[in-house]
Amino acid sequence: MRTLTPALRSALVVSFLFAGLPALRAQSNSSEIQALRAQIEQLDAKLRILERKNEIKEEAAATAASTTPKITINDKGFTLASADGANSVKIRGLVQLDSRLFFNDGGGVVNNAFILRRARLISEGVFAKNYSFQLVTEFGGSAVTIQDANFGINVAPSLQLKFGKFKSPVGLELLQSDSWTFFNERSIVTNLVPNRDLGVQASGDLLNGTLNYTLGIFGGLGDGGSTTNADFDNEKDAVARLIATPFKNDAGALLQGLSFGVSGSLGREKTAAGRTAGYRTDGQQTFFSYAASTIADGQNWRFSPQFDFRNGSLGLLGEYVVSAVNVRPSATGLKTELQNKAWQLAAGYVLTGESSSYAGVVPSTNFDLAAGTWGAFEAVARYSDLRVDDNAFPVFASAASNANRAKAIGVGLNWYLAKSVVFKIDYYQTKFGFNVAAPAVPATQILRQDEKAFITRFQLAF
Amino acid sequence: MKFKIFLTVLLASALGAAASAKTITLLNVSYDPTRELYVDFNAAFAKYWKAKTGDDVTVKQSHAGSGAQARAINDGLQADVATLALAADVDALYNVGKLVPQDWQKRLPNNSAPYTSTIVFLVRKGNPKGIKDWDDIVKPGVTIVTPNPKTSGGARWNYLAAWGYALKKYGSEDKAKEFVGKLFKNVPVLDSGARGSTTTFVQREIGDVALSWENEAFLVLKEYGADKFEVVVPSLSILAEPTVTVVDKFVKKKGTEAVAKAYLDYLYSDEGQEIAARNFYRPRNETVAAKYVKVFPKLTLLTIDADFGGWTKAQKTHFTDGGVFDQIYLK
Repeated sequence: MRTLTPALRSALVVSFLFAGLPALRAQSNSSEIQALRAQIEQLDAKLRILERKNEIKEEAAATAASTTPKITINDKGFTLASADGANSVKIRGLVQLDSRLFFNDGGGVVNNAFILRRARLISEGVFAKNYSFQLVTEFGGSAVTIQDANFGINVAPSLQLKFGKFKSPVGLELLQSDSWTFFNERSIVTNLVPNRDLGVQASGDLLNGTLNYTLGIFGGLGDGGSTTNADFDNEKDAVARLIATPFKNDAGALLQGLSFGVSGSLGREKTAAGRTAGYRTDGQQTFFSYAASTIADGQNWRFSPQFDFRNGSLGLLGEYVVSAVNVRPSATGLKTELQNKAWQLAAGYVLTGESSSYAGVVPSTNFDLAAGTWGAFEAVARYSDLRVDDNAFPVFASAASNANRAKAIGVGLNWYLAKSVVFKIDYYQTKFGFNVAAPAVPATQILRQDEKAFITRFQLAF
Repeated sequence: MKFKIFLTVLLASALGAAASAKTITLLNVSYDPTRELYVDFNAAFAKYWKAKTGDDVTVKQSHAGSGAQARAINDGLQADVATLALAADVDALYNVGKLVPQDWQKRLPNNSAPYTSTIVFLVRKGNPKGIKDWDDIVKPGVTIVTPNPKTSGGARWNYLAAWGYALKKYGSEDKAKEFVGKLFKNVPVLDSGARGSTTTFVQREIGDVALSWENEAFLVLKEYGADKFEVVVPSLSILAEPTVTVVDKFVKKKGTEAVAKAYLDYLYSDEGQEIAARNFYRPRNETVAAKYVKVFPKLTLLTIDADFGGWTKAQKTHFTDGGVFDQIYLK
């Protein structure tokens, strides 16, 4: 056998290698692709597992959320609610610290003061969606008192029932929350309406929410009075209120925020004590009270047209009240009907552009010096007038020591540092009028000149 | 006089109309894979009850993992009837909430299990991993889909079937524990219920094999096509006995006791059994079972009482906190 020369052998090997190279390369590529494919499949499987795990976690979270009670803490208080929202308990609070400063009030009157005007713990709740309660405990003042204690049944939007102790639905400004009135103190008109009473009421919205009615039977109270949590007599008051908000559903209408209506009460009173503990000024000083021997005996009634209007930053509130009562100078004296009347018009304008509201101003920013934000400012003004029936003097009240009229103006500035924190500065000036039988110089020191009161308040309400 | 007669007739008509216009709503709180069964059954029962009493019955359904459903009822879900995956979950209604009497299981035939099922393997078409029996699924590289035994009744049946197989084949509890440990090493995702596992396997395309209720496996073939999946019947499995009960405390409160009892009784009727079989549950009724004999394969089945000492013992040993499952899975 002939042997191949080294050169020929080399050439054959090279030729062979070159001839076999594409096959080798193809084989190599194929196994690499297979490996890559397997790797991709593994990664794909891992990815799908991760995605599914995430899906399961989300499902579990959603399931847990549907059964986990919710805890909410915000500027409306502390709320614990069941997952379905049918049951909840809310804890709220209100603290008002006032400074009262009186100018030119004559010598010997000590009325400048720091006062813890209100310190309330408010608990509210709903059970089984339609049953609610409210318990308001007042820690301000000299004794702890229960302000409100009531429960409600939500039968339908058109029928809500309420039982217990709560505000009698007569006075417009009285029904507004203590936290959100224009001024630190409600106007002198509020002297003529009942405050918190024991009773039962039905209320509801009709005509697509444009008409609200309230009807109730209450124990019955003297002007400005609150129940002492018991009412042992046969005389009760029927109370009714009808408020229309005809443009409520007309978005953007000029009068969308207008509500107006009337309220009134009718009943009988027979009390051993006077009809009222006294009418007070904006500065909370008493300018009228019945003689100690005067008793209420017979029919009493109140009538109050009222309105509230809000449009953007502007808010207006007005009400008129006439309160009639039959009184005797003593148990056997002649019965006389007295009619005391009052009215007020109040206005507020939010200088920083937020909306005025019956439920308080919500500042668009909170006061934060570091951030350069200042909260909201609202300027307020009010005129009010109360006249005591001239027939009250001198038989039922002393003309010497009581005024028969108070005309008050008030101006103020409210600074909403946050929704829950407000600083209010108010100035009130009250001019008194007197019965013709009154002496030239009233016997009561504070009535000898106009009342000029400067009242500031720091309020925390949540 | 005529007016009085008219008024009497009017009043009687009004009362009669009020008495006949009864509409009853029941809530059936069940486990995951029974959705389709009870949709069919509820319609049949409503028809039956209307014909019998004239009353309209609407049965609302709630489905999730069986253990989770038992907890929900104990937490206040106002079930009229509980149709759960296993007796241990119904036992919890007595043990935790005292919502049913202790002897609830004796109130209906067959220990209150009107239909049965078993555990099979659902694999992808062509069975690419060649899975034939339990030993095949614990091999490395095989991915298994099964729900969480803590929340799913079906998962507990799966677990016990595997345990029983290993105990019989390898002869000791240690070996069984090792076997089940290997099985759960191959489980990448634990769903909370059987229907979730089906979603994982069928729709998310995860896993080589799903341990499945027999009825759920057949349902997958029916819904998604036998060209995509196959059912593999292992050499040994377990007789799964889903149990049913009236939730006494709630039906008494709601005044639905009679109709709730009738609802469960109707599960044992010929029609109820037929509906169960049509939905791939093994019927108790022998006549109906004979009719469907070709649907359900024959295999050796362990039972919870004979092979595991009953649910109370099995639950305590394997599934309570710190039990064997926790030792295996949390290791």
